[in-house]
Amino acid sequence: MKPPPFAYAAAGTLDEAVALLDEAGEDAKLLAGGQSLLPLLAFRLARPSHLIDIGGIEGLDTLEEQDGCLRVGALVRHATLERADLNGGWQALREAASLIGHLPIRVRGTFGGSLAHADPASELGVVAAAFDAEIVLRSVRGVRTMPARDFFLAPLTTAADPDEVLVEARFPTPGTGFRSVFEEFSPRIGDFAYASVAAGCRLATDGSARDVRIALGSVGPTPVRALDAEQALSGSFLDDTAIVECARLAAELCDPDAGDWHADGTYRRALVSHLVERALRRLGGGP
Amino acid sequence: MSAPRGGLIGSPAPRRKNRELLTGEGTYVADIRLEGQVYARVVRSPSAHARLLGVDTSEALRVPGVVAAITADDIDDIRIPIRLPFAESPEANAVLQAPLAADVVRYVGEPVAVVVADDPYVAEDAAELVSVDLEELEPVLDPATSAESSRTLVHESFGSNTIGRLAYRYGDVDAAFAQADVVVRRRLRVHRLAATPMETRGLVADYDSGSGGLTVWGGAKVKHFTRALLSRVLGLELTKVRVIEVEVGGGFGTRGEPYPEDILVALLARRLERPVQWIEDRWEHMVATNHAREQEHDFELAAGADGRMLGFRVRGWCDHGAYVRTQGLLPVVLPMVHLPGPYEWQAFSMDLDAVLTNRTPVGTYRGPGMTEATFVRERMVDILAAELQMDPADLRRRNLIPAESMPFSFMPGPGSGAVMPIMYQGGDFVQAFDQMLDGAGYDRMRVEQQQARADGQHAGVGISAYIEFAAVGPFEEVEVIGGAGNVVVRAGVGSLGQGVETALAQIAAELLDVPLTDVTVEFHDTAEVPQGFGAFASRSTVLAGNAIAAAVDEMRAVAAPLLGCGPDDVEFRGGAATAPGDRSVGLGDIGPTRGRFEKEGLTASFGGAVCSVSVNPADGRARVDRFALAHDVGRAVNPRLLRGQLAGAAAQGIGGALFEEIAYDEHGQPLSVTFADYMMPTAAELPDVEVTIIEHGSGSNPLGIKGGGEAGMVGSLGAVANGVADAVGAGAEVLSSSVSSAHLWHALHRPTGHDPGEE
Ligand SMILES: Cc1cc2nc3c(=O)[nH]c(=O)nc-3n(C[C@H](O)[C@H](O)[C@H](O)COP(=O)(O)OP(=O)(O)OC[C@H]3O[C@@H](n4cnc5c(N)ncnc54)[C@H](O)[C@@H]3O)c2cc1C
Repeated sequence: MKPPPFAYAAAGTLDEAVALLDEAGEDAKLLAGGQSLLPLLAFRLARPSHLIDIGGIEGLDTLEEQDGCLRVGALVRHATLERADLNGGWQALREAASLIGHLPIRVRGTFGGSLAHADPASELGVVAAAFDAEIVLRSVRGVRTMPARDFFLAPLTTAADPDEVLVEARFPTPGTGFRSVFEEFSPRIGDFAYASVAAGCRLATDGSARDVRIALGSVGPTPVRALDAEQALSGSFLDDTAIVECARLAAELCDPDAGDWHADGTYRRALVSHLVERALRRLGGGP
Repeated sequence: MSAPRGGLIGSPAPRRKNRELLTGEGTYVADIRLEGQVYARVVRSPSAHARLLGVDTSEALRVPGVVAAITADDIDDIRIPIRLPFAESPEANAVLQAPLAADVVRYVGEPVAVVVADDPYVAEDAAELVSVDLEELEPVLDPATSAESSRTLVHESFGSNTIGRLAYRYGDVDAAFAQADVVVRRRLRVHRLAATPMETRGLVADYDSGSGGLTVWGGAKVKHFTRALLSRVLGLELTKVRVIEVEVGGGFGTRGEPYPEDILVALLARRLERPVQWIEDRWEHMVATNHAREQEHDFELAAGADGRMLGFRVRGWCDHGAYVRTQGLLPVVLPMVHLPGPYEWQAFSMDLDAVLTNRTPVGTYRGPGMTEATFVRERMVDILAAELQMDPADLRRRNLIPAESMPFSFMPGPGSGAVMPIMYQGGDFVQAFDQMLDGAGYDRMRVEQQQARADGQHAGVGISAYIEFAAVGPFEEVEVIGGAGNVVVRAGVGSLGQGVETALAQIAAELLDVPLTDVTVEFHDTAEVPQGFGAFASRSTVLAGNAIAAAVDEMRAVAAPLLGCGPDDVEFRGGAATAPGDRSVGLGDIGPTRGRFEKEGLTASFGGAVCSVSVNPADGRARVDRFALAHDVGRAVNPRLLRGQLAGAAAQGIGGALFEEIAYDEHGQPLSVTFADYMMPTAAELPDVEVTIIEHGSGSNPLGIKGGGEAGMVGSLGAVANGVADAVGAGAEVLSSSVSSAHLWHALHRPTGHDPGEE
């Protein structure tokens, strides 16, 4: 459980980070909070040639609403998100952050690291998928953005190139009255979830659900957007029948092979249905 | 002259060293740095079963900083022996483990080579370069089929995967079944668990070529046995080997037995003439250190319609993993002697097989055998209660051995093998059982359960009752050295963090009437404490405590002629031996005395647990909302330490039921090698453990003490499983000791009659 040899450099600025990353080549890795990368190193499951530490770069921890979106910087710690004044439409983000690991992990772990690591169980990845976050990537070649649905490709694999730094994600500000919640099942507090759900909607004046968003975690290779379920619920009231039907449609998306020895696909599917129901009842005003 | 102090035995003195240990000032084996120290890394088998065609260390040896790399070819052909004479058999001795695998590897994690370097990182880098040439063989993975039908043999030369068949017959079991109105039958499974002490294993060995002496730090639990073994293997005189115990971060039965690494590190220290350190990492710990508990039992219970339990038959398979280690056949012996438990059976018949599989060897883990047996028997008792529609507490009370029948024994009858007889020295089980129910508020728990059910919740109450055999001999010897303001007790036991030095100091201080702070307990160094058997089987306080009493009696005998009175007239007062008429002699003038306490057989104590459980059928999660236990410790030397031991053990047991599981895939690859996968409970998942201490004394030793270090574990798996079963009712059959959310959800969502631990 000792990491294999690697070279280390700490970047003082974002420019320096992208330059170092470019220079070090394909086998280099960024080091942010270290909460995913260091365990991989200890098990020798990752063997980067270089670690480029971005943890000390200033200005990468933006957390503000600006120009119609919420900008969340790569170095925003989970613990910061968890305690931020994020309610209504952003509540799912805060709730998701609070469910990551244990406090010492949340104090170090970063938003950008969580997205870039692309664990299908990552709560923040599910929120990014549910609310159409735009991912901002930067390299010596310039800046580009892409929607979350294109960013996550497979477990621990994203569309970012090896020389790119994830700088921030931008969550479009939803319409007034939009609310969001996050639900998950993990065996113990702090464990990676067996299944998770980010859900949001706005209740129209007649009480029907609009702008429905539902995404699922831990049930496939990437966060999964439950588009059929969203559509089925749109325009209907959050009554038992609609909720159960929506949960059923969401559960159908679960890959039966996505499970592991802890929790197989069938079990995860049942959890999703249960969690979607719970999330929707909360959105409908339940506990 | 002051009045005798008294009251120290039974007082909740704080554990010694709390402050030091909690503020990081303790010295653990990983803290040791000796001049010239080098670091060992063990290369382990990646395969569950394979022919070992070759091990090539040449590339590793070329890495700068590497000072040695050894394989089986570099060491003598030795086997690590069984430590406990009653757990031996010729068969068991045929499948002992060598320090390094030679021709065949038999579990993932088996040592095949060791690389030593001047830096632990370099050692790990170089260990990766050792190439191990394997020809894969079919692994044997299931205990029940391993014995009966496997074509593959874990040890080809032995010719069978069954290495022991134990039979125990008591009474006429066929007659008992013929008389029965009801017979319930089930196959129950106990899942594989690991003890996972906070501190993994570790050693430092240093050989001094000048004196020819070997010193080993880090051996705990059974220092004197480790010393004898190393002296034999290295061909050194006993007095040339010294084993020193440093602080230990938990043992739980697994840490401190001699393992392959203990021998390898000592051999390397002598070969290199440099201090060698080896610290096990957590991945290694999960594959290399003993596992525990896995077994299956076909159990039939015969009873009358009135709830009188008449007899049982059990056929079981107890997994030993790939080798028999130092604890011999205890993984099969201990379940057997604990299966009958506290009930007054007319007859029973037990046949248990010790079997091999291609997985990490199995040893004892806190409450060994008794925890498994209690789960099996107590689950069956609840299944019977459901069948008879009786309250599980009433059913148990009706069948407990009455106090009038004490001492009680189930002597082995014709057809039994060479087994130790099951004997209970005393105690009032019915009274203790009722004390437990009262302490827990059992009647109120049932009322609350009904209320919760009326609210649509799945609420259950689980009970278990057990017998724990503890306090194994053969003996302990202590030395007590009196001085002015200072009494030193030297004892050959071991401290694994349980606080035994505090309890022993209390006994010595009370018997000699000196302040507790005046007593020092020394046990760390085999050079200073020449004999001892170690810390296991909840024996340390019982054995060494009574040996202290014997040493104090000896002091009395030595003092008597000095005082000109008879030994019975000598009284210890304030650091002196006194006689009637104000004569006195200081403890320092009496001279050191020795005391020895010999003990035959095991001390039985009664206990049990009650818990309330709630289950959410939608996600399968079971929560233990309350957990209350009771244990007869004979006499509580230190109720605070005892509560800590009982509550800690119960927490470990609850975690074992709800979360922990050592799993393997179909190739014999271990799946639970991190704490993300081997899920121990945290405070957030545990209820407060409510403890009732019962003090029914004991005829088997002068101080009247019974074991207490493990007992909190014993009833846990059974009580939690029974609580879960009660909560889900007809919704699912609980036939496995693992009631994790996934297992339980599957059990709830499949037609009944299947094993929830099967997937
Ligand atoms: C015990 C434990 C429990 C945990 N439980 C959970 C949980 O329940 N849910 C959960 O989601 N996570 C969990 N985590 C992981 C935690 O959330 C991590 O913090 C997070 O996944 C990664 O963030 P980091 O800053 O620590 O990244 P690091 O570990 O430093 O890096 C992770 C990966 O992302 C890359 N990376 C980091 N930052 C950037 C960037 N800005 N641009 C491009 N690439 C980057 C790194 O190169 C590396 O490949 C747990 C971790 C532990 C140790």
